[in-house]
Amino acid sequence: MTFFAPFCLPFIIGAAVMFTVLLVKWGVWLYRLPRTDKMTILRGIPTRRTPQAVGEVVGEALLHRSIFRVDPLLGYMHMSLAFGWFLLIAVGWIETVAYLGLRYVPLQGHVFFKYFATGLEHKPVFDFVMDLLLLFVLSGVALAWFKRLRSRALGLRRTTKHVLGDRVALSALWFIFPARLVAESATCGLYGGGSFLTGSLGGWFSAHLSVPGLMNLETAAWWFYSSCLGIFFVAMPFSRYMHIFTEIPLVFLRRYGVRSGEKASSMDQFQTQACSRCGICIDPCQLQSVLHIDTVQSVYFLRDRRYGMLRPETADNCLMCGRCAERCPVHIDLNTLRLNSRDALRNLPDERRYEYLRGLDRSSGSGKVGYFAGCMTLLTPRTLAAMERIFEAAGDAVWWADREGGVCCGRPLKLSGETDAARKMMRYNTDLFRKHGITTLVTSCPICLKVFREDYDLEGIEVLHHSEYILRLIRAGRLLPKHDATRFTYHDPCELGRGSGIYDEPRAVIEALGELVEPSETRENAPCCGSSVANTAIDDGAQLQIARAVAAELEATGAEVIVTACPLCKKAIGRGAQQPVCDLSEVVAQRIG
Amino acid sequence: MATINFGYTISKPRAIDMDRNNLRKSDEILREMPELQACIGCGSCTAVCTAGNLTSFNFRRVHTLIRRGEYQGAYEEMNKCMLCGKCRLVCPRGINTRGVAMLIKRKLGDNRS
Repeated sequence: MTFFAPFCLPFIIGAAVMFTVLLVKWGVWLYRLPRTDKMTILRGIPTRRTPQAVGEVVGEALLHRSIFRVDPLLGYMHMSLAFGWFLLIAVGWIETVAYLGLRYVPLQGHVFFKYFATGLEHKPVFDFVMDLLLLFVLSGVALAWFKRLRSRALGLRRTTKHVLGDRVALSALWFIFPARLVAESATCGLYGGGSFLTGSLGGWFSAHLSVPGLMNLETAAWWFYSSCLGIFFVAMPFSRYMHIFTEIPLVFLRRYGVRSGEKASSMDQFQTQACSRCGICIDPCQLQSVLHIDTVQSVYFLRDRRYGMLRPETADNCLMCGRCAERCPVHIDLNTLRLNSRDALRNLPDERRYEYLRGLDRSSGSGKVGYFAGCMTLLTPRTLAAMERIFEAAGDAVWWADREGGVCCGRPLKLSGETDAARKMMRYNTDLFRKHGITTLVTSCPICLKVFREDYDLEGIEVLHHSEYILRLIRAGRLLPKHDATRFTYHDPCELGRGSGIYDEPRAVIEALGELVEPSETRENAPCCGSSVANTAIDDGAQLQIARAVAAELEATGAEVIVTACPLCKKAIGRGAQQPVCDLSEVVAQRIG
Repeated sequence: MATINFGYTISKPRAIDMDRNNLRKSDEILREMPELQACIGCGSCTAVCTAGNLTSFNFRRVHTLIRRGEYQGAYEEMNKCMLCGKCRLVCPRGINTRGVAMLIKRKLGDNRS
């Protein structure tokens, strides 16, 4: 057998282009990784992380387990396309070996085996299995078509608006499997073979078509099938389908510990191109659901960035609440990528900036426990007064870092892309904490908390959010708040919950005071208050609209008091709510001696 | 006739000549952030300002002067801002002051290179 027919050409050319581009892309990205990252990878390869990564690739890239959690039908659609196609290739390979033994067969020989194997004696088991697998994939294609009409049935309110290149690749992909069905059936109609799918359709063809007609159909169908494959393969590395082969190295790199950072790096390429533009990030976005802005979501941000057409308006218009990242099936580090895009757009190193910080110290008091109110707490004096009360009741001597005015933690600057300027605040505050010899640092602002934990080098100083600190006091019996019948509801601040993983501590504190009722969207799915310092694009009216939507959900619980643990959330939700919004520290302070 | 020394002086008269000032950048800023025109000059932004608490930085003064076409030293002043965002929360007209601060810096200096 020669394993060549003219119709194979589109496929051969397409596959050659695809593999060449893929190898070049991977090579360049890996080569450009910082040296430290390369060492991390080399050190990681002989460890347990490699088999773990293989497991994750099977679970995610083939089976799409994360999408099943979003919606089972959507998960099935993605799985049938990915895993089904993979099985068609793998079982097809085994089929060739079973027919011909272990000998070299060119790539197109495997892919178009049905066309070349007409002279061989049929193995019905393989005919049946291959038909079953083809049906599996076709069911996914049918669902993909159906999703165009009714995305809600697959758990998506909104789907991605695709660019032209993606539409071409998408159409080619959708036609690959029906074309394969017709091509294989036509061959079966002429030469026999096939099972319940290709065999039956082939039989129907031969009953309704003349032999020359069927031969023409066969040639046309194989040409069409090969062309669909060719077009898809050429489009793949440049379209959303690059994710198919990018997710695999991404999983390995992530397992070895390579991360994107506040400055752009080659790792970002693996992340941006691993985005399949599935659009799962669109629904959780409040800019979409409340404000109907539908050009800035992570899917569009990554697309614009990948094709070099990112505009500041898109990069800036994001609350960085992290709800999309929570649902991203590829687990792309969306906030970090958004941050380093802003850095690239705006960072301007200026050595002379913030000269006025030199020698500045407005702190007061002394003690091993330091308290950093943060800018926003200084704007909510009730929280500050409540914290004073709590420290007094607990009998802790406190060093007040910024009660008389201090320097910002640096996170707002970082979120705006001015990373070098933010470093100056970080250095200043670190020196201040060290100078006063504190061992514990309490803050009531989750924005400060996140930056203290992630960007500051505070070894030897334990950083606590006030919810953690208060809970510790209660558990140690140093704070004895009265329990009554008040019904509270709790709003998870983004930077505290998704940002720092603190969900249980504030809830435990509230349960020590009264009854806690949860709103409909809570914990990992909690909405953003709308006033996030990460967004400098939306106006006041838009912020208020989001706050009202959030407040309405909280009020729907029927709770008497809305509690949150972030001064910014308190201010924002307070504007949209009819009933009082309190900081956690306030409700605790009201109930102690 | 020699002037009599009363022991005090009055400040030098300082008028802003809108005809002589180049308002191009000011206009650009107002076009991109028209809500700045809603400012009533109450100074709440300045009253709560973290940087203003530590230095003589005065956001109201800076953006008012810029709108009059007085750009001298404005970029350097604006760079004292820490972008903490308190001003935005207290603004009675709901002006996106952080956006204004970033826009001013972008228009007056960040793109110098």
